[in-house]
Amino acid sequence: MRSCSLRLLFALLTPALAWAAPNPRLVLPEFSALAQKATESVTITLDAALLAMAGRFLDGSDPQDAATKEILKGLQGIYVRSYTFDRDSGYQQADIDAVRNQLAAPGWSRLVETRSRKSQANVDIYIMVANNQATGLALIASEPRQFTIVNIVGAIDLDKLHKLEGQFGVPKLDLDLPKAPPSNTKK
Amino acid sequence: MSEDLESRLRAALRPVAPGDEFTQKLIARVAADRRSPSKAPSARGRSPKPTTWWLSASMAASLLVAAGIQHQVQERRERERGLEARREVIEALRVTSQKLELAYEAIKSQSSSPADDASGV
Repeated sequence: MRSCSLRLLFALLTPALAWAAPNPRLVLPEFSALAQKATESVTITLDAALLAMAGRFLDGSDPQDAATKEILKGLQGIYVRSYTFDRDSGYQQADIDAVRNQLAAPGWSRLVETRSRKSQANVDIYIMVANNQATGLALIASEPRQFTIVNIVGAIDLDKLHKLEGQFGVPKLDLDLPKAPPSNTKK
Repeated sequence: MSEDLESRLRAALRPVAPGDEFTQKLIARVAADRRSPSKAPSARGRSPKPTTWWLSASMAASLLVAAGIQHQVQERRERERGLEARREVIEALRVTSQKLELAYEAIKSQSSSPADDASGV
């Protein structure tokens, strides 16, 4: 009888605990109004199945493909929304705030915040860490004529992300990134 | 007695020319047999008609060809989806790297002229 009660309690609590657990996937708005106004727009939605499929078409003998393949291991999704406009203020601050508000949720912490008065470009990089492992990354870049959101979901191995330096033009960022646990890091 | 029997036998067995009706029937029969030589009574009922065999064979071949085409179409679609996913992954990483470059430039320029930029790492 006691074990039945415990099971019932566990069954009731499990969905609540799952709901309460921080979710590294952001709810990205449709941005349909922005897409209509934009001269260029990039909408990428890659879930775990599509990432696995993409991984099968990456050539391990090619250095860029091999680095990409390493990055994809453990990822559950990559979501990108980017809009370019032919004039300044093509988007509203409210468009950014709709996403930024989600990053105020527990679990997310801001890793980088840059504000450039010269180029009027602002870049914020957020990271979600669970059990000393990065489980989500969010990047919001707002420029006068461009607005970009990147959300990477999954076990992001930051060491592997560093290996991207030099590939795709990824710069060397001297960030003080949290180190992944040794058991998850292959060197 | 014996002479009588002999004469009667000779009379009965004498050659007689066939009638016109018999000749015509015989010619017609021979002509009919020449037109359909495969219709031998012994062959009938043992093997299927050639038309049935060809129909079955062509249906089986059509099914095989259809299955092959379906498999190829499915394979091609999967390949197209995979290549599209690969292209999107590379594009996503390119966009990400561009924005990281933007952050890097801001951090770099902060060290040279702190008044213009503000950054926190």
